[in-house]
Amino acid sequence: MMRSSHVTIALLFPLMLTGIASAAERFPPPEFETGYELPPVTNITQAVPRGDIYEYLDVAVLAAALALSSYLVLKKRSRRWIYTLMIFSLLYFGFWRKGCVCPIGAIQNVVLSIFDETYAMPITVTLFFVLPLVFTLFFGRTFCAAVCPLGAMQDLVALRPISIPAWLEAGLRLFAYVYLAAAVLFAATGSAFIICRYDPFVSFFRLSGWFNILVLGACILLIGVFVGRPYCRFLCPYGVILRQLSRLSKRRVTITPDECIKCRLCEDSCPFGAIREPTAEWPAGHYVKSKKRLGLLIAILPVLIFVFGWLGSELKGIASRAHSTVRLADRVHLEDAGRVEGTTNASDAFRATGKDVEQLNAEASGIIAQFGTGGWVFGGFVGLVIGLTLISLTVQRKRTDYEADRGSCLACGRCFEYCPRENVRLKRLKETVGGD
Amino acid sequence: MKSNSDNNTESKSTSLRYPTAVRIAVVGGVFSVIVAALLAVNYVQRTVFDERRIAELDRLKIEILSRPNDEQLMGRIRQLDLEVRRDRIRRVDFSRKGGWLLAAGLVVMVVGIKWADTLRRKLPHPELRGDVRAEQVTEATWARRAVTAGLLLLGASALLLTLIPQVDFVKSSFEVGPDEVWPGFRGPGGVGVGVTTNVPVKWNGGTGEGILWKKKVPLRGHNSPIAWGDRVFVSGADANERQVYCFDADSGDLLWRGGVETEAGKTSEPLDVMEDTGFAAPTCVTDGKRVCAIFANGDVGCFDYKGKQLWTRGLGVPESAYGYASSLAMYRNLVLIQYDQATEEDEKSKMIALNVLSGQTVWETKRPVGGAWTSPIVDKVGGSEQLITCGDPWVIAYNPANGEELWRAECMGDDLAPSPIYAGGLVLAIESNVKMVAIRPDGRGDVTKTHILWMVEDGIPDIPSPVSNGELVFLLTSDGTLTCYRLTDHAKLWEQDLGTGFNASPTIVGNRLYLLSEKGVMIIAEFAEGYKEAARYELGEECHASPAFVSGRIYIRGLENLYCIGSTASQEP
Repeated sequence: MMRSSHVTIALLFPLMLTGIASAAERFPPPEFETGYELPPVTNITQAVPRGDIYEYLDVAVLAAALALSSYLVLKKRSRRWIYTLMIFSLLYFGFWRKGCVCPIGAIQNVVLSIFDETYAMPITVTLFFVLPLVFTLFFGRTFCAAVCPLGAMQDLVALRPISIPAWLEAGLRLFAYVYLAAAVLFAATGSAFIICRYDPFVSFFRLSGWFNILVLGACILLIGVFVGRPYCRFLCPYGVILRQLSRLSKRRVTITPDECIKCRLCEDSCPFGAIREPTAEWPAGHYVKSKKRLGLLIAILPVLIFVFGWLGSELKGIASRAHSTVRLADRVHLEDAGRVEGTTNASDAFRATGKDVEQLNAEASGIIAQFGTGGWVFGGFVGLVIGLTLISLTVQRKRTDYEADRGSCLACGRCFEYCPRENVRLKRLKETVGGD
Repeated sequence: MKSNSDNNTESKSTSLRYPTAVRIAVVGGVFSVIVAALLAVNYVQRTVFDERRIAELDRLKIEILSRPNDEQLMGRIRQLDLEVRRDRIRRVDFSRKGGWLLAAGLVVMVVGIKWADTLRRKLPHPELRGDVRAEQVTEATWARRAVTAGLLLLGASALLLTLIPQVDFVKSSFEVGPDEVWPGFRGPGGVGVGVTTNVPVKWNGGTGEGILWKKKVPLRGHNSPIAWGDRVFVSGADANERQVYCFDADSGDLLWRGGVETEAGKTSEPLDVMEDTGFAAPTCVTDGKRVCAIFANGDVGCFDYKGKQLWTRGLGVPESAYGYASSLAMYRNLVLIQYDQATEEDEKSKMIALNVLSGQTVWETKRPVGGAWTSPIVDKVGGSEQLITCGDPWVIAYNPANGEELWRAECMGDDLAPSPIYAGGLVLAIESNVKMVAIRPDGRGDVTKTHILWMVEDGIPDIPSPVSNGELVFLLTSDGTLTCYRLTDHAKLWEQDLGTGFNASPTIVGNRLYLLSEKGVMIIAEFAEGYKEAARYELGEECHASPAFVSGRIYIRGLENLYCIGSTASQEP
């Protein structure tokens, strides 16, 4: 397995990093005063649209990859083959398809199609969004295991993963919920697709992109050397949905193929902190305190939802600046008030239309009001998540075996080979049992 | 099972290979760091040093606009442009090649690390643990604390973000009240209607009664005073100098003066202008942050309120028979210049819109008219604003944002001086001494045959512009005849001989007319039930410019001095 990883890394890194070089700014055309006219650029810059058939091919490949991943995780239980499929997905969905369409970004398409009746979402995008959810519902996070190119990229650089304390993991995980809520809010208001805009890896896939995003991607990869899949665990908004569906999945990853002998060999095998140990009975005093705490948390849950909802609505002013109309109105206002120097292309274009500033301001005010309403939902959701997380940390779980956490397990299969029972299943231990 | 000799051989082989793997990783890492550092230096050079040169290039490009014939400057721009492009290409090339080298270095490093990791891989050996129950309870407690900390962090961040001041789009961008601004010739909209209250009721230039201050203006000019908040502006010029003056509205102190000079405005021979027009007839314009002025030689200058010159533009000396006199107008961030000159056949007249922030031309459109001395106005017509101009022979309305022509009516003759007004839903344009025409401004294209509602020929002025309260329109001739028409049916209601001559245009404030004679006498008259003179106050100095009515004060420009009529305290009307 390690040999194959060497080869794949050797293949992928040049591709990733040449993105940095190719991301240099385009050269502006020179200005001629001699009457020379630049040749028409239509034929040079116009990209040929991709054929529809390829979109359906992508969906077919996605479905096949999901099915294969589920088989490899649950039946074959082979890290080597999961890894190989992961490399294929990285090459196909990442570098070949350039990271788009991806199910993570498709969240925004779905949301926009719900809130904007004029927005028509292609069936292929819908399938990209739905297929991983369906597979997760039945087989756990097999999409994360070997199909997601973003996860694959991080998996490759996990060279020295350290164990993150459970408390830190619980705190950092909140960011993914906030990110999901923000992405939904901005998509619902037609402001921005922030998941795509701030996708840290798409610049590598496309060998081009904003410098800031390249730096962001490089930083996440650098962190990923020591912290396994940081984007998947603490930021991925799609992962938030998959986590909940995976809890409901009928079949799921098990560390051992049959029974857990509590040998503890798998204890530190997961670089993503997804292995849960058997629980001990809580002390009686602590149990009573936990019950009281649980009652208190349930009581303050509505308060949390309300307070965060209010805070979310109060952010309407600053959040609405993500919308181009609000930004334009703000810019025009500042220009008219003489508070800024110069004009922007947007303000020049607006003024060239001859439209009334008051009309623009009315549109902007309407969008801000939408953010006010959406902010209540956004904030309320964040408050609900925090409240429920606190509640879940108060409730005692009962486990008798070492288990992969239903929500957190990324189904990478690393833990399989640490289990003696798995080695017995694979007939690797037959020679050693009783041998020495 | 492996024999001991096999194990020893494998161990020996591993001990040889491990240092090799580590060395490979170190070499790859060091190489990568060096390449990354060089790439970083290259990036800083591109984004910092090259950007400075690009900024310099942009500055020079703006500068060349005011000195189009400066070959030395042009040569410098070309050289700098070449250097910037050459260096940019070199750095991009370096970045591309460096990226490949960095990639290669990192691949070597990662392969080395993975190899070394594989060679030293050990089976897990879990240590004995203490009180697992206590560990789990502590872990849950810390997790709750971490989530609570996240709760507080998110809440505090949101609270901080809400404190950032936001733009209220409903509020106007004006930071002063509407009665505190007189932003251009004849005030808001250029229609000569003031909204201030507490207009001074009595003054005497001879005794100084009612005069808050009187200050000499360094250079002459027939342009009218404009005001915004606590600043009053006029311009002045002679054959050699062109200046903009800023006075303190309360004390009359000359806060600053700014000179305007461009290469394009220089003439080999002295500019030939009529004395009645002078070198600074056009009135300035301000948006509350900047003030712009244009002079007889086509020089335009813009200053901020501290007197810093923002830009100058030389439009070229206009061919004007009596001297250029059209005042500036303003629309949003555009300074609008009606640059009419020569004859219609010469095709030299044009409408120009300059960016008030940079002086660059935003749009420019040719006008099929000859020279005129009227000023453009910008008024809201229906749901949008129109830039209305009066030339020979066309009255033309434009979209002030982009210069698109909206409508035109052929109804004017030559030697035009009175400026048009928009009142009661009609554009009123005057052909000096001949006629006043009322045009409905909701048409498109040539509306000569469709939108001219009526025309009158009695009491038509030659210089002063008309004024209207929306129901009545008043015409004041230079020889002192005041004529009143009703807008709805263009019936002539009355006519009054005032017995003195006028150059300044009349103004309406409240229900009174303010008529400033050439001799400096302000005639105040009520008009609700015919002409009824309320008062006459003498300034004691000849006046050609129209007064400004701002914040309960009147600013009057005499031939030599600028007057502020009023007091520091508000007065009852």
